[in-house]
Amino acid sequence: MADNNAPQDAVVIERSFDAPVELVWQMWTDPDHFAAWYGPDGASVPVAKMDVRVGGTRLVCMEVQAPNGPMQMWFTGEYREVRENKRLVYTESICDEHGNVAPPSDPTEIRVELHDLDGRTRMVMTHVGIPSDSPGATGWTMALDKLATHLAALP
Amino acid sequence: MPLAIDEDRLSETFAALASTTRRAILARLAEGSATVNELAEPFDMQLPAISKHIKVLERAGLVVRGRHAQYRPCALDPTPLEAISIWAEQYRQVWETSFDRMDDYLTQLRSPRRTDDDDG
Repeated sequence: MADNNAPQDAVVIERSFDAPVELVWQMWTDPDHFAAWYGPDGASVPVAKMDVRVGGTRLVCMEVQAPNGPMQMWFTGEYREVRENKRLVYTESICDEHGNVAPPSDPTEIRVELHDLDGRTRMVMTHVGIPSDSPGATGWTMALDKLATHLAALP
Repeated sequence: MPLAIDEDRLSETFAALASTTRRAILARLAEGSATVNELAEPFDMQLPAISKHIKVLERAGLVVRGRHAQYRPCALDPTPLEAISIWAEQYRQVWETSFDRMDDYLTQLRSPRRTDDDDG
């Protein structure tokens, strides 16, 4: 049960895209491309800053339309592994608009693996470590609860 | 959508799970109930320290204790863990929707000049 990879602590999603790995890589590493797809339906990404190199930081703002107006969520993190067109690993924590994480925080980790299938791409995304400290967990829970409510309210 | 998750309760569950010792205790209890003494055995720890961990698990609703005055055996209650898996499921849904959007976006990007060639 202490294993980080226990299903309970991670979300693993596998997808295939009819696009070359170079382009799918850009989906994650080019802020304009990232902003075009990240988040649930109806979400927008007004801010995406990415210093894509090991140790580089990222700051992303996601905005959703909640019943009482737009709601912003900010995420920050650090790149841990950058192997172009193959593997990207970064951390993610809830933060404020200046990238300050409320301590104590326990970031989650997103791992993206790309496999070239003759011009198509198989992608495996693993989001590890549902935040286990209570402040982080509360933040995520609130954020997701609102998101889920928002999703449920869509036609 | 299953949204009726008590946020405070969920935080408590996460906090309770944020300890290797407590996860090990739960793993042991998953095999069957045990007394505090039995739970303490594999750990290099004094009984009061183990009791403290068990209290945290009890407060989080992950452990229930029997009524036998002397032994009060501990048992696992998995209910709060179900809330976590529901929560993880919501997380998954957010990603799945994002990747649907990525797929659409990739299709758009890759066919700027093609006009319904394949759609007949």
